[in-house]
Amino acid sequence: MFVVLFSITAISALLVGLVNNLTKGVIASTEAANKDMAKLEVLPTFEGEAEFELSTKKIGDFDINVTKVVNKSDNTLVGYAVEAPSITKSGYADRIYLMVGFVEQEGETLIHGVKVLSQKETPGLGANMTKADNALERSIKAEPNPAKMVFKVKKDDASGSFDSLTGSTISSRAYTNAIETAYAGYLWATGRLDTSEEAIEAAPTGATTPAEYSDAAASDTATGATVVEGVEGVADNNESEPEAQKGEISNE
Amino acid sequence: MSKLQIITKGFFKENPTFVLVLGMCPTIGVTSSAINGMGMGVATMAVLIMSNIVISLIKNLIPAKVRIPAFIVVIASFVTIIEMLMKAYVPALYASLGVFIPLIVVNCIILGRAEAFASKNGVLDSALDGVGIGLGFTMSLTVIGAVREVLGSGSIFGFNFMGDVMPLIFILAPGGFLVLGYVMVLFNKIAKR
Amino acid sequence: MQTITNISQEILEAFSTGEVTVVPITLFAIVIGAIFVNNVVLAQFLGICPFLGVSSKVETSLGMGMAVTFVMALSSIVTWCLQEFVLMPFGIEYMQTIVFILVIAALVQMVEIVLKKVSPALYQALGIFLPLITTNCAVLGVAILMVQKEFTLITGVVYSVATALGFALALVLFAGIRERLDVEDVPEALRGVPIALITAGLLAMAFMGFANVVALP
Repeated sequence: MFVVLFSITAISALLVGLVNNLTKGVIASTEAANKDMAKLEVLPTFEGEAEFELSTKKIGDFDINVTKVVNKSDNTLVGYAVEAPSITKSGYADRIYLMVGFVEQEGETLIHGVKVLSQKETPGLGANMTKADNALERSIKAEPNPAKMVFKVKKDDASGSFDSLTGSTISSRAYTNAIETAYAGYLWATGRLDTSEEAIEAAPTGATTPAEYSDAAASDTATGATVVEGVEGVADNNESEPEAQKGEISNE
Repeated sequence: MSKLQIITKGFFKENPTFVLVLGMCPTIGVTSSAINGMGMGVATMAVLIMSNIVISLIKNLIPAKVRIPAFIVVIASFVTIIEMLMKAYVPALYASLGVFIPLIVVNCIILGRAEAFASKNGVLDSALDGVGIGLGFTMSLTVIGAVREVLGSGSIFGFNFMGDVMPLIFILAPGGFLVLGYVMVLFNKIAKR
Repeated sequence: MQTITNISQEILEAFSTGEVTVVPITLFAIVIGAIFVNNVVLAQFLGICPFLGVSSKVETSLGMGMAVTFVMALSSIVTWCLQEFVLMPFGIEYMQTIVFILVIAALVQMVEIVLKKVSPALYQALGIFLPLITTNCAVLGVAILMVQKEFTLITGVVYSVATALGFALALVLFAGIRERLDVEDVPEALRGVPIALITAGLLAMAFMGFANVVALP
């Protein structure tokens, strides 16, 4: 009796392992191809070959991949595609991974497009974040400048820039968090992220309980970005200066 | 029972959702829209047909006492394998059905049919049973999903005709229970005739 | 030099230290969250089959609730250890579902055998419910959720016991209502499962009132 059960388990495990080995490579390459596609999808279309310059920031078990996309034919910057998880907030089931495209126009940074890379939210509720023109995407279209965004959902804090998906505040918070992480990643890659103690001190708290804000922080967040003059703070940044890796892909 | 009867019984006489009351968790969990209901139904049908075939093939090898654990292992491996294969070779299909697949493991319909039908019948009959019950399940889920979508978000199959004025409660958990209850009443009325 | 800091403290800290500082969730929040806010049956749609099947009497539903609590607590310990010491070190996380479901099935059988020998009285009370638990998707669901939410062993066990208590609470409340319904004159078409589902819908609506009571993980 137990021999039969054991052999069934063993055969099943063997089969699953076999299929896993068989499909692992294919899955990895499809995912890599999808990511490359996503990088171009979140940025404006252009003619010519794309050159990718990847820098990765490791935080714990997570990778934040910032890809600088340059049009090789005329050597102009297309934008930055940042792959980021919702680093400090999980969605309803798991962390949400986004690809966010940043473009620089007239000295301003704008979010050009967002693509959900992976999410395990409830179908019909949180999973609606993958649909075109959802409430979250509309919020970004309404205020595409991340420097002016308040990375909170309106339900938690009236000053927040993000409308939440109907019935899915938790998923919307995680999405907002991923956008924020991506923006931080973009600033880091361009050497503009100030992680000095003073800057952290002055930063808004991202907690879900808005009541905890100090008065000063609350008034700052209400007007959008807080501008800090910090010369010494930048020196700390040099250690985490991104190392660039070059890669190329043709854009059709 | 004729072959045709095995297939058609899934719709009315042995409808898995309304008559057998099996697989309630995915039924309420994913039917927030018609297309989701249909996706879950189709994914379940695929797993059900194949698990029925495998179970009926190996039914004579399994001693009665370890029947349930053996079936569970077979089904769980099956679902995992299907998920991996889909992810690798039909990524487009996986993108739309992928989220439902892990949920199928906990769907008692699969185990229920393995126990009630596939372990007692031949391969062909078991496969047909999978088709019939799978179609019945897909139909029920699509209907429930459509009702919830119309009532909760004012759209059908993603096509919005009402704007944002409908009561959201039908998309949320309570609406799932309520709609399933009332659709079941309607079904019983119709099926009785 | 101007630097922009509309980025929150948590994320800045993560970038500066290279580590995510996880804000520890209080056990209180876990317990309240699992029992009331995210009730396993009424909000997460897990374990609905036994919820509808074994809820016609308060007494039996209490027994079922106890049995589920017992098995969930045990299985959460075993599955957590398996995940941490077997699946992750060997990189075979894809076997998770198979391993967990097998462990739960084996555990239920073992509990049944042990109870029969050690405490016939308890076996008398819980025995008939045990085989039903194997097919209770809530047990597997909780084991998987525990891994997803990256709980430690202690918080994980607290979480699974609280979830089971939430299951028992929903079951007992529901059974109380159904006992009353039995003596009422319910329209014929609604009798049985339909009225039970509608009742469950109303109960779920009542539980929605607990939303946002505690900050959840």
